[in-house]
Amino acid sequence: MAGAVAIQPDTDFIRDVMRLGGEDLKKCSQCAACTSVCSLSTAEDGFPRKQVLAAQWGLKENVVADPAPWLCFYCGECSKTCTRGVSPGEIMMALRRYLTTEYDFTGLSRLMYRSGVWEIGILLAVAAMVALLFTLPASFGFGLLSQSGPAPLSTVMLDKFAPKEIVHIGDTMLAVLLSSLLLVNAVRMFVRLTRGEKIPARYYAHCAVNLLVQAATQIRWRDCQDRDAFRNWLRHFLLVTGYGTIFTLVVVFLPWFQIEDKSFHWTSILGYYSTAVLLATTAWILLDRIRQRTEMHRFSHLSDWLFPILLFLTAFSGILLHIFRLMDRPMPTYGMYVAHLCIAVPMLVVEVPFGKWAHLLYRPLAIFVVAARNDAHRLRG
Amino acid sequence: MPRKPGVYVCTGCSIGDAVDAGQLAKIATKECKVPVCRVHPFLCGAEGREAIRQDIESGAVDTVVVAACSSRSKAEAFSFNHGTVVERVNLREHVAWSHTPHDEDTEMLAADYLRMGIARALKTEPLEAMSGEISATVLVVGGGTAGITAAREAADAGYDVVLVENGASLGGFMAGVEKRFPAGPPYGSLKADGFSELLHAVAYHPRIRVYTSTRILKTAGQPGMFDVTLATEAGEATVRAGAIVVATGWQPYDASRLAHLGYGLTPDVITNVEFERLAHGPGIHGSMRRPSDGQPVRTILFVQCAGSRDPQHLRYCSSVCCMATLKHILNIREHSPDTQVFVVYKDIRTPGQYERFYRAAQDHPLNFFTKGEIAAVEKAGDGRLRVSAHNTLIGESIQLDVDMVVLATGMVPRSAEQTLNLTYRQGPELPVIGQGFPDSHFVCFPYETRRTGIYAAGAVRLPMDSEHAREDAMGAALKAIQSIELAKRGRAVHPRAGDASFPNFSLQRCTQCKRCTEECPFGALDEDTKGTPKPNLYRCRRCGICMGACPERIVSFRNYSVDMIATMIKAIEVPEEDEEKPRVLAFMCENDAYPALDLAGFERRQYDASVRVIPLRCLGSLNIVWIADALSRGIDGVMLIGCKYGDDYQCHFTKGSELAARRLDNVKETLQRLQLEPERLQLTQLAIDEWGKLPSLFNDFVDRIRELGPNPYKGF
Repeated sequence: MAGAVAIQPDTDFIRDVMRLGGEDLKKCSQCAACTSVCSLSTAEDGFPRKQVLAAQWGLKENVVADPAPWLCFYCGECSKTCTRGVSPGEIMMALRRYLTTEYDFTGLSRLMYRSGVWEIGILLAVAAMVALLFTLPASFGFGLLSQSGPAPLSTVMLDKFAPKEIVHIGDTMLAVLLSSLLLVNAVRMFVRLTRGEKIPARYYAHCAVNLLVQAATQIRWRDCQDRDAFRNWLRHFLLVTGYGTIFTLVVVFLPWFQIEDKSFHWTSILGYYSTAVLLATTAWILLDRIRQRTEMHRFSHLSDWLFPILLFLTAFSGILLHIFRLMDRPMPTYGMYVAHLCIAVPMLVVEVPFGKWAHLLYRPLAIFVVAARNDAHRLRG
Repeated sequence: MPRKPGVYVCTGCSIGDAVDAGQLAKIATKECKVPVCRVHPFLCGAEGREAIRQDIESGAVDTVVVAACSSRSKAEAFSFNHGTVVERVNLREHVAWSHTPHDEDTEMLAADYLRMGIARALKTEPLEAMSGEISATVLVVGGGTAGITAAREAADAGYDVVLVENGASLGGFMAGVEKRFPAGPPYGSLKADGFSELLHAVAYHPRIRVYTSTRILKTAGQPGMFDVTLATEAGEATVRAGAIVVATGWQPYDASRLAHLGYGLTPDVITNVEFERLAHGPGIHGSMRRPSDGQPVRTILFVQCAGSRDPQHLRYCSSVCCMATLKHILNIREHSPDTQVFVVYKDIRTPGQYERFYRAAQDHPLNFFTKGEIAAVEKAGDGRLRVSAHNTLIGESIQLDVDMVVLATGMVPRSAEQTLNLTYRQGPELPVIGQGFPDSHFVCFPYETRRTGIYAAGAVRLPMDSEHAREDAMGAALKAIQSIELAKRGRAVHPRAGDASFPNFSLQRCTQCKRCTEECPFGALDEDTKGTPKPNLYRCRRCGICMGACPERIVSFRNYSVDMIATMIKAIEVPEEDEEKPRVLAFMCENDAYPALDLAGFERRQYDASVRVIPLRCLGSLNIVWIADALSRGIDGVMLIGCKYGDDYQCHFTKGSELAARRLDNVKETLQRLQLEPERLQLTQLAIDEWGKLPSLFNDFVDRIRELGPNPYKGF
């Protein structure tokens, strides 16, 4: 038959998606109630029925080339509406997990998404390496990174314990490394999304602002029509501002952020803001996941737990560090400094290029590609 | 003996507010010369009924005319001792509730209905039920799931059963099925059937006589007294039976006609029934292998609706094939967890709770379902088959290389073969509808066939699975028992269940035109060699279609006759031409149209008061002489309102309204010769839920009659 596509289901792909949260996958009977109830689904980018079908049939190429999983914000209306008791929303989530592993060229992501042992193992390994940086070179304790001798135990002198110039170099190096990894993955994503159709560069230029706006505000989420849409968006938005603030402070302004004296400093206000926001929103998210009352929080993969837990612990250890320093308690301060890094660094190493964090880039990128493609279609007539 | 009528006018339910009861009483006593007439405000109450009863007991009245509500209301309240004729005049629904109170036309309508009711009552004779020696044996034909269930149900209810099976053993298709799909919650897995237990119960039941390897040579007689000649292995035998359950089951659709789906291409294309047998052998127990070359089966594709829901083959859905395929998939899963199973369907149809089974069967990573149309099944290289399908859910035409293809073929009722060999004038087998189903109307009258006392059950009646066949058999067994019990009482079965009237044929006037013997929908009338009808009254359903058919008017019931309706027509007062009051006569089917008009009354829908309604047992009992009577009386138009006819008919006697339509066409030709407009006659098909259309139907017709002007025969 002319033009017929030979179908060979990728059974490993099916099993992967089912394992990553799509266990309902096969129960879907393609009634399309999900797609019709979705307020974001469009004629050009219909979801989630189409993606569920592609996954059911093991049509991996179709799924990988499809931006739609990233267009979904998981309001869960589809899962509530499903005539078969399937959770299409969670299947879309499973596809996002799968795609994250698919974009990652190192294979680490796949390893960690498939196995909690690997994920926790790698987190612990990175934490151990961070701890080693502080302890191993020392015959006795702290300050080994410093050239000015061990830090005093009588009063807090963080710069003796962990000189900010060195830490700054370290975190810049880490930022560059992780960003590069993420960027490579994002390029791989971009290649897969645009393999089928080449879109002239001018249309991308056209939508460049869109990419930045989406990344900064997640404004597309506001188009979800469910009851909790505003609440969820706002919470996420606050989380992003908190995260962005502290990220900027640490990576760009560390010399002004890691300070020795107890006098008030402008960076403290920003620090307090982001700490408060991070603690509140991550705790709130975790509470929702425990309660399982909303569709978005009914199913939690290990990765859904780890990211908010690690964020919470990062903020928590950060503020403790700050308090101990103000109380002038050297040992707890130094200890908390190490602990803080032992949480934050593994979290970033694992989550940014290989894990859930990556959606900060993948989601706006998908929206950007779709916008450019739609522009191209529209303007070309 | 002269009749002693009594007229009782009720003024309750707002009848008294709409019509002048005193005036009606005057019409009864003065004009119609009825000796007893009473007006009561609450006739169906204890006091009102007591008044009637006293008149009957004192001997003053033997014919009661109740001018109150519809005959469909208060039937209990207005039934008196045996031998008393009761006639109802519908002043409530058809007059008071549907016309302007105390309007001149309303009063005229009520008066006419009263005159017609009195006329009818006086033409009604008390009924005497027929009697005969009735056999209480149920003959069950077919020893499959439905047959053995029907046999067991009837026997357990205390009736002797003769079970006749063509094959060498009982059990039918299900005897060869190892596991069946679930019939109860949670519908998730296959189960072994409790079938052997049922077989055992039937084989050893003291009331059941089983004849295997037996055919029926001849079935003569009528309900209550069927004489059945059997050809058994030991020779001929005769059985007398009161009722018959036909459960001859189904056969798979002939797959050799499905070459376009690859059947016959290689031995690897098989039908679902062939797969069922394969499932028994080493085919599935252990690893499945291709029938053609014994290679292991790694991929298998099921084609649903193979020849079903297809105008070229079976037009209908067999309702079972989807479930069977899902069952096969679970079977495959038990033994071959790595086999990829594809299903291409038109729609997966898993009615009711079976949807849960579909859900369970879907739930495996290697089960693939898509809607689609099979475009081709061809040989691929390496001994595999290449299946192409278009219009799939995947959004494009697809191609799948598989090791085996299973065609889910549908069920064909086993009704074409010679089964009963009836000695009926209208033919030896049960008349069928649709594509060979002997059922008469599977929604309204399940199990009923067009042969009274013979009921169809199971897949011969309607494609169904064994669980539904069991339920079906229970229903049909009960119908057979009802038929026997009603025959014992000399009464009609459904749809006039309990009716003790029966047609009387004045054969000395018969001209052997054979219309009645041909038109009776139930084959009740046989013929002698000259063509004179030989009635078999136990086969009769009392519809009166023979009465309507007869040009010589030789057929009548004691309470329903050509003369009676003609007298009612005569009782209608037709105003003079210059009064400009047209009169329209509406013959309405008692089963749907008449109750529909009652509903319109309940809803207080108003309509033209020029219409006079005469209920008929069936529109098919309409004798065209009535139309001639009406027109020659000066009535301006005649309406016939009956059930829908055609392929999806709703006529309770299957052909009545259709026959009426045919007769009407003949009459219209005659009208033209008489210079009368054929528009004065109109037949309308109406379902009961279309009651809301009746007022405008009447009004529009009366308007058209007004436009045509008065009947020129008025006053002749």
